[in-house]
Amino acid sequence: MLVLTRKLGESIAIDDHIKIVVVQIKGKQVRLGIEAPKETKIHREEVYAAIQEQNKEASHVGSDDTKRVASLLKKS
Amino acid sequence: MQIQTTRFGSVTINEKDLISIPEGILGFNDLKKFVILEDPDDLIFAWLQSCDKAHVAFPILEPEMYMSDYKARLNKSDREALGLSEGQESRAFTIVTIPTDATLMTANLKAPIIVNSQKRIAKQVVTQENDHPIKHPIFAELQQRVSKVMANAPSTSPSVSVKINKGKPAEALI
Repeated sequence: MLVLTRKLGESIAIDDHIKIVVVQIKGKQVRLGIEAPKETKIHREEVYAAIQEQNKEASHVGSDDTKRVASLLKKS
Repeated sequence: MQIQTTRFGSVTINEKDLISIPEGILGFNDLKKFVILEDPDDLIFAWLQSCDKAHVAFPILEPEMYMSDYKARLNKSDREALGLSEGQESRAFTIVTIPTDATLMTANLKAPIIVNSQKRIAKQVVTQENDHPIKHPIFAELQQRVSKVMANAPSTSPSVSVKINKGKPAEALI
């Protein structure tokens, strides 16, 4: 992994069109500003972890569970 | 060809029913070959079944089943990954999680499975929209629509799924 040291207000350029600025440093928190083309997807990494978790949970659903839902829906 | 499934036993599918997911599903990145199965005993859910691992299958629903205005915006690299040509439509399926209390079931709107039904390529797209929750409760919405769904099922077109024909080879719906 490339590691760079930046001060408040300084930035990093990635490729020609992506810029990441250190906007604020407060204790253990760093606020980053990101300028990138509209096409670029930017997510907190937790989003990917949460999706993985959700996929895992879904993969444990059995065919009895979905049928149970169908009968629950019909009943009410 | 035959695929083995934990939930439905051995299922016969055609080569052309296969859906390739080159980037895999998040958390299951090594699985690339899937098929969408429809259980004739279950008119609501379809299953995104791995062709390589019998026990890996995800219950899926088209978002239209529980909401009318869902839109997953695809960017250029999504469209390229899916092999979608200019203006070509794709189909979206959401992965559903059903906890012990089924009324608390949720659909993942943040990361739908987008399918190019012509080329049979799919991708789990992480959408940029902030109003797409990973756990969107759907029971109440599904309930409101279920009578309509039951009346219309199982006619989805153009279909990308395979109906499980118990005892006989499965036929792809057209």
